[in-house]
Amino acid sequence: MERIAHVEKLRLKFPGDTSLLFKDLSSTFYKGEKVLLLGPSGCGKSTLLQVLSGLIPHSIEVPMKAEELVSPTSWGYVFQDPDSQFCMPFVDEEIAFVLENINVPKQQMIDRIHHHLQQVGLHLPDIHTSIQTLSGGMKQRLAIASILALKPDVLFLDEPTAMLDPKGTKEIWNVLKEVGQEKTVIIVEHKIDHVLEFIERIILFNEAGQIIADGPKEKILSTYKNEMREQGIWFPGVWEEYLDTTPLLRSRKPFEKKEKVLEVQNFKGFRQKEEKILVDDLQAYSGEWIVIKGENGAGKSTLLHAFMQFIKTTGHCELVGIAIKKVKKQTDFMTFVFQNPEFQFVANSVYEEIAYSLKVDKVDSREIEIKVEELLEWFQLVDHWDKHPYQLSMGQKRRLSVAASIVKEQKLILLDEPTFGQDSKNTFALLEWIEELRLKGTTIIMITHDEQIINNFATRIWTIEAGKVISDEIQSMNMKTELVSV
Amino acid sequence: MQLDFSSKETWLHRINPSLKLFVLIMLCIIVLLVHNLLFMMNFTVIVLILFLCFTGQPTKRILLLFIPFFVVFLSTSSSLIFFGQGNTTWFKWGLIHITEESFFRGLLVGFRALLFAILGLTFALTTRPVYLFYSLMQQVKLNPKYAYSFMAALRLIPIMLEEFQTIQNAMRVRGVVRQTGIRSVFLKMKAYSIPMLSGSIRRAHRIAVAMEAKRFSDTRNRTYYYEIGFSKYDIVFILYFVTLLLAGYYGAIKGV
Repeated sequence: MERIAHVEKLRLKFPGDTSLLFKDLSSTFYKGEKVLLLGPSGCGKSTLLQVLSGLIPHSIEVPMKAEELVSPTSWGYVFQDPDSQFCMPFVDEEIAFVLENINVPKQQMIDRIHHHLQQVGLHLPDIHTSIQTLSGGMKQRLAIASILALKPDVLFLDEPTAMLDPKGTKEIWNVLKEVGQEKTVIIVEHKIDHVLEFIERIILFNEAGQIIADGPKEKILSTYKNEMREQGIWFPGVWEEYLDTTPLLRSRKPFEKKEKVLEVQNFKGFRQKEEKILVDDLQAYSGEWIVIKGENGAGKSTLLHAFMQFIKTTGHCELVGIAIKKVKKQTDFMTFVFQNPEFQFVANSVYEEIAYSLKVDKVDSREIEIKVEELLEWFQLVDHWDKHPYQLSMGQKRRLSVAASIVKEQKLILLDEPTFGQDSKNTFALLEWIEELRLKGTTIIMITHDEQIINNFATRIWTIEAGKVISDEIQSMNMKTELVSV
Repeated sequence: MQLDFSSKETWLHRINPSLKLFVLIMLCIIVLLVHNLLFMMNFTVIVLILFLCFTGQPTKRILLLFIPFFVVFLSTSSSLIFFGQGNTTWFKWGLIHITEESFFRGLLVGFRALLFAILGLTFALTTRPVYLFYSLMQQVKLNPKYAYSFMAALRLIPIMLEEFQTIQNAMRVRGVVRQTGIRSVFLKMKAYSIPMLSGSIRRAHRIAVAMEAKRFSDTRNRTYYYEIGFSKYDIVFILYFVTLLLAGYYGAIKGV
């Protein structure tokens, strides 16, 4: 087999880190192979991908050394964030940018652009469409199309679906399977259910950046299940295993209608004077776990924003029995956990972050101390109490954002896809914490796409379609749903 | 969030952007050198015609954009008129002292400010940044490195506005808004600027890497998707200013 990429005894260290990320790492990739790199976050999978492509050290300056390093001559790289891989404002201009880079004559450009868009199934009425108006899935397809313009032999895929919903994820993998058939494909990905049928070989990393296994996928998947569970990888069957081994869920108390926390009637939310969300009649009671589901762009986040009064609303909306516009401090009764935790950090340390809302309210300092320590303990952040929030890992940031939001023990918690981009270990832990809050009587309203969360944790499901809440179902504990009202 | 200023295309759009930029900069320099009020007024009318009739924007938007600059005109000229110095007094009441000299100088400076604004707006409203940078690369031989980094940066602005809104909401949830006093202003600034800066730096770095992954390099040798040249509109544009400005100057000297 022809060798297409190779590293021998790679040593690499990020400036400021105390230890080497890779110490004498060696690996070889052959032509036509489809390889998946698996491992816990922070183990250096993406970094290895960047080394193999030559982005490190050519574009990203990181001190590194290797006895031998062979990079493919013709390659394309798809990044995870759909919003930060384009430099032009329009679809045609973005692909043209790539064609200009490789000196394709202007006369051929239009045909090439159409051809590559066709390849990824991006059928736009006009190729001069603003990239900003595309959905995340479409943006990633455009990213793939612009990579295909390079006519690469090797595709490097760095979690190309990390920011996408299940539908977008499936679409992207279908496209990648088609265009990647003849090529060598090296993939880093956490959500592996769509990837598995496509790949042949898995390389498994541990936390120290060492390769612990390398071989055909069947063998790795059956032999290294424990390691993968430990690392929080979403391998097939991880949910079933979790549900079988978790006593909390089996003894779930069904919820009984008690205190009404939120009630809305004929409730509308507006963005720039345009009606974006409409609710006829909905109630939320204490101890409920309500999941909002619906397609991307249907108005799920808008509904939460309307509840929080981030946007203009009309109609009847009562929070704990008082009209919401008359509630003086709405944040005493409800709180909101944002999709991107970084946006809500206001303090310089984890401890201060959690204490923040209490300090604003001038709570007694002894009381703050007790409360914060309790939350640090509960969310396993004790060891990191003095770190800056930005220094935390993805999972820790998420935990901190939840801890800081619920410190005032509000009756209603709204969460915008809190498990998004989290590994399985963090996801399960987070869900268990939320369940504990629910058992204490807190009302949870949460947006999620995850069918497993909907089936196993929700007590009620609101479905949104095209800016309207179209159904409200109570989910009974024996997993059967009954329709309440529409 | 959408920042959409697209409009109908007019002949002003079809002028070579580099040439347009050059001509407008020259005009700005001329504006600085003009000290004849009548000529300045004629000048303003000549530019206003382009701005009001040929930018292809809906009238409502044009007038809306015009308001702040008109306010600038009024405030600049009025402050000079009311409090300027001069010998021939027309009116005096308390601090207000209007003289003939201050009146004319006020108007002159006011018109100057207005002209700068209209020239800039006309350019901005009739030029797509992408075309401008393509033209600068092709006609002025601007290094593609700078042209493309500017274009990438422009893409970031709407994303940053969206982020700003998210942070604003997040701050509300955390109770930041409720604090008062100077300390809270400082805290608020810190709360906004750090996440926005860190986000922008990270994003800019990612885009830069993505651009290089798409084989963008330092070479000036590249093909262009938009080939921007010169056309008859460029001649019309230059002739428009040459003839009308000459006429305006002549008229001003003759006292029209």
